[in-house]
Amino acid sequence: MTIDAPVKESRVGGGLAKRLHLSKAVVNVILALVAIFWLVPTISLLVISLRPESLFGVSGWWKVFTDPSQLTFGNYSTIFSQGFATGGVLDSLVTSLEITIPATLLVTGISSLAAYSLVFGSWRGRDMIFFGIVGLMVVPLQVALIPVVQLYREMGNLFGLNPYGTIPGVIIFHVAFGLPFGIFLMRNFLTGIPKDLLEAGRIEGAGEWKIFYRIVLPLALPAIASLAIFQFIWVWNDLLVALVFLGGNVHSPLTIFLYDQTRSLAANYWIVSTGAVVSIFVPLIVFFSFQRYFVRGVLAGAVK
Amino acid sequence: MSSVALRELTKQYAGNAALSLDSVNLEVAHGEFVCLVGPSGCGKTTALRMIAGLESVTSGDIEIGDRVVNDLSPRDRDIALVFQSYALYPHMTVFDNMSFGLKLRKVPKDEIKAAVTDAARILDLELYLDRKPAQLSGGQRQRVALGRAIVRNPAAFLMDEPLSNLDAKLRVQTRAEIARLHHRLGATMIYVTHDQVEAMTMADRIAVINLGKLEQVGSPRELYDRPANQFVAGFIGSPSMNFVPMHVESIEGGIRVVSAGGDMDVILDDVESAMIRSAGVSDVVLGIRPEHIDNQPRSGRGLQLRASVEVIEFLGNDEHVHLSSGSHELVAIVDARTPLTIGDTLTLSASIEAIHFFHPETGVALK
Amino acid sequence: MTSLTAEGLKVTAPRARQHGWWRRNWVSLAFIAPGIIWLLAIVVYPTIATIRFSLYNESATKFVGLHNFASVFSTDTILTAFKNNVVWVLIFPFFVTFIGLMVAVLTERIRWATAFKAVIVMPIVFSTTASALVWRTIFDLDPHVGVVNAIEQTVSDWFSTPGAYPLNSAIGQTAVSLASFNATGAPGGLLVSKSAVQPGGTVMMGLTRISSATLQTLGAKTPVAPQTIAGGIAGLVWNDFSPSQTSNTTTIVSDEHGLPNLRLSLVNSTGSSVASTVTNSSGDFSFSHVAPGSYHVEVLASNFQTSFVGTFWLGSQSITPTSGLNQTAQSLLSVPLIDLAMIISYIWIWAGFAMVLIGAGLAALNREVLEAAEIDGATEWQTLRRVTIPMLAPVLTVVFVTMVINVLKVFDIILNMAPGSSQGPATTLALSIYNDGFTGGIHSGVASAIAVILFLLVVPVMFWNLRKIKGGSP
Repeated sequence: MTIDAPVKESRVGGGLAKRLHLSKAVVNVILALVAIFWLVPTISLLVISLRPESLFGVSGWWKVFTDPSQLTFGNYSTIFSQGFATGGVLDSLVTSLEITIPATLLVTGISSLAAYSLVFGSWRGRDMIFFGIVGLMVVPLQVALIPVVQLYREMGNLFGLNPYGTIPGVIIFHVAFGLPFGIFLMRNFLTGIPKDLLEAGRIEGAGEWKIFYRIVLPLALPAIASLAIFQFIWVWNDLLVALVFLGGNVHSPLTIFLYDQTRSLAANYWIVSTGAVVSIFVPLIVFFSFQRYFVRGVLAGAVK
Repeated sequence: MSSVALRELTKQYAGNAALSLDSVNLEVAHGEFVCLVGPSGCGKTTALRMIAGLESVTSGDIEIGDRVVNDLSPRDRDIALVFQSYALYPHMTVFDNMSFGLKLRKVPKDEIKAAVTDAARILDLELYLDRKPAQLSGGQRQRVALGRAIVRNPAAFLMDEPLSNLDAKLRVQTRAEIARLHHRLGATMIYVTHDQVEAMTMADRIAVINLGKLEQVGSPRELYDRPANQFVAGFIGSPSMNFVPMHVESIEGGIRVVSAGGDMDVILDDVESAMIRSAGVSDVVLGIRPEHIDNQPRSGRGLQLRASVEVIEFLGNDEHVHLSSGSHELVAIVDARTPLTIGDTLTLSASIEAIHFFHPETGVALK
Repeated sequence: MTSLTAEGLKVTAPRARQHGWWRRNWVSLAFIAPGIIWLLAIVVYPTIATIRFSLYNESATKFVGLHNFASVFSTDTILTAFKNNVVWVLIFPFFVTFIGLMVAVLTERIRWATAFKAVIVMPIVFSTTASALVWRTIFDLDPHVGVVNAIEQTVSDWFSTPGAYPLNSAIGQTAVSLASFNATGAPGGLLVSKSAVQPGGTVMMGLTRISSATLQTLGAKTPVAPQTIAGGIAGLVWNDFSPSQTSNTTTIVSDEHGLPNLRLSLVNSTGSSVASTVTNSSGDFSFSHVAPGSYHVEVLASNFQTSFVGTFWLGSQSITPTSGLNQTAQSLLSVPLIDLAMIISYIWIWAGFAMVLIGAGLAALNREVLEAAEIDGATEWQTLRRVTIPMLAPVLTVVFVTMVINVLKVFDIILNMAPGSSQGPATTLALSIYNDGFTGGIHSGVASAIAVILFLLVVPVMFWNLRKIKGGSP
């Protein structure tokens, strides 16, 4: 068969390739616009924090693109010059870490232990307990706030240790509401570990603790990483629990610091934006270093 | 007019230096059943997907009927494709799966119903039209996938390893069913498989592809009897052909072909001597199919070898005997009633008609 | 699970065997104990206690039955919270799922998908507090702060450029009201000199009620009486208001100001414009080489073009018409503009979540099914609508339900994004619990009742989750 005229025509006029090409260009443009839209808020925050306070409300932050000389680290040097003084940004940064790190460690540790017991234990009722824990995953934490405050007071009356208004008080609550998801995620991961591995350990004479510590934990590291990152970001970004349980403490985490500043937004905006940048800096580092684990955690939490 | 032709068809994936398909020429006549066969990754599925319009053409042409379809989208090519995974729509019933294409083409409802009922009858699916794919067995899903292709009444059926997800027994059964379907519909079919047995049993013609290149096209018998090169010779037939590098020696009145240790040699006639001489090679690769090795000494021309028995695989009617001849390993098929034990030393032979010679570097069959 | 017979055996097992059971399982039980105790103390017990509190009075001393629930449904502020939660639930989960789906489908075709996904996912790791603050500036009323109003202003300026002396439309100011000396209003919102002038003559026009801020911005100087020019017309337009001589409305006083940047036009006796000019910083102007005749000077209407008034995105004005309704009906039917602003911000935060989940669902789809649709003749749009989306239905449901639960509890964004005046109209159930229960001492009754309602709303999802997990593989 020879290539005759109609064939040639169909080729010239046609253009699956051409049409695909065009639509690909359109898709690229649309997504570029979406990406810009998504970046604007972050960029604006950054720029506002890098412009002198005196320019706020006088000209828009976007003027920086025509006049880059507006950029200055003045706001940062001002807030950092206060050092770790109570009520300052750095004090709040430290408080945030004091809450977030123990809460994260406790949730990952306790969840791993519990999940190990649920998966590899041989006692009856493990499934019922697990279903109960899954049920707890959607309980809104608002439901527990008031009784826990009272519980803390009771603890004060009984033992002289009232966690209300203290950092441990905040941590205890965070751990409780991090556990259902933590146990769920760890259990799902551990069910994928072949039981043979544990049997092999037992035959070699390892005790339960050693099997957990030496065999299961190293294998579960990816899941632990996902959980830890998830929990870290969750606690780091919390405002409500800290507001309720830290009531009146002079040291407050960054979210409360920002919340306090917003009450007089116009006057303090340079502190607010600079503080907000400081507050998102830590989770951003965590996110970009462990993006894969974070996404995995999001996927695992889909049921939440 | 539903022939399919590939002309110098070439595919190169972005970021990949090697060609996935290299200047393939192939003509499939109207109503013909052609198998594309080759090892996995050879480009046969790529070729099929290019015919279907799922992959773009790097260069060359694809013609369906009398149109060059390079730039047409799949829906404008009038083809149907049966996928390896069946690719049924999981949320639709069998009826909806089979009628989806017709509905999109706005075929009248009663025509759709007639076409689907017809196909369901042919494929024995009438009782399952209201079920969803998840409620069907593997074989039934397979038939739905075929049915989806049939109702469309396309110019050409393309099939991409449609039997590879079935168990061995069902595979043999469905193989026959597809062959029957082909006769009944008289449609053009292009069938991709890595299984040469499937190709041999079903195809009118087989196209053997390796590393993106078309090695040989021909009827199953042609490929079996006259493989164009060492690759085709080794690919077609099971167990595959034995290859032994041999040395060509000039002797008084002609030439002799002998293996390194001298355990194998071939006595040639004048025609074959002339053939080897004209190729101008001092070494050749000898090819002999296991089923063509006889358990008796040579009489007249042909191959003779001495070998010891290493492994015997009993298969009922016959046995596969793994032999060691000098430094070479061979397989021979012998009658199961032959009394053999491991370690036996045998003198075996093959007639000159059964022997193939290949060029030692290019692998091309010497003729 | 152990079989029935095994259980029966255990119940009747001799003591020694029970002892053995302990020995085998005590480590395993010790592993789960901290988790169980923690959950019982801080999640399970408090949930039950809250249910109990909801049936008692505010100081939890007297049983009041369903009284607290009755007050929940009869208090306008809490009804407002309900309404806002409904608005959130109706709008937010749908749009987040929709945008997540679109973006996930489109990202499959670009080369920079990894970078794009990172950009979209990033806001999830920000605290809602920080995000709310960012969006609060983005929606700020002042176009020198808020991008949205800056864009609105730019667009509005394309259609009508504001003059140097914008009228305050808020108080219904008109151009005529600015006329003071030798000036009068004319059709089209302009001012024209009362007296006619010939070439070689001068003209003075006094205006008033020009704000000192405007004068300062424009750099207005002390007015100087105009000097005649041969064959031309000179003149002055000034702000005829002296703080020291408030009653003097005819002559120039040293603490008065000329009006710079006024666009003027010279009009001949037939009413057509023959020349135009702009006043200088002391309000002086001149037209040279004017043909003989009688003229008037016009102050063009464009000088008084009203300036842009931004949209108060963070305000509580309702999108839905609610005038004439009583308080309760307003609580239930008004949709404050800030709800929309906050929903947009919240979509910005959560779309990445939807995209990641839906993207994973897409990646898990059998590609061949989509290709089968293509071969069957479906266009890309038909494939998406009739094959891809139905196949993604389970994932889309998970995203949707997760987002519904999420917005039932929405809290931080309102507390941080809504200015004080909008907090009330924008409140939600979670915020009401906080405000009722914790601001100004602990009050358990009504706050607990709201918490119980919130809890009841998520109970169906709880069972849905359980059914999914029991049905699924793990």
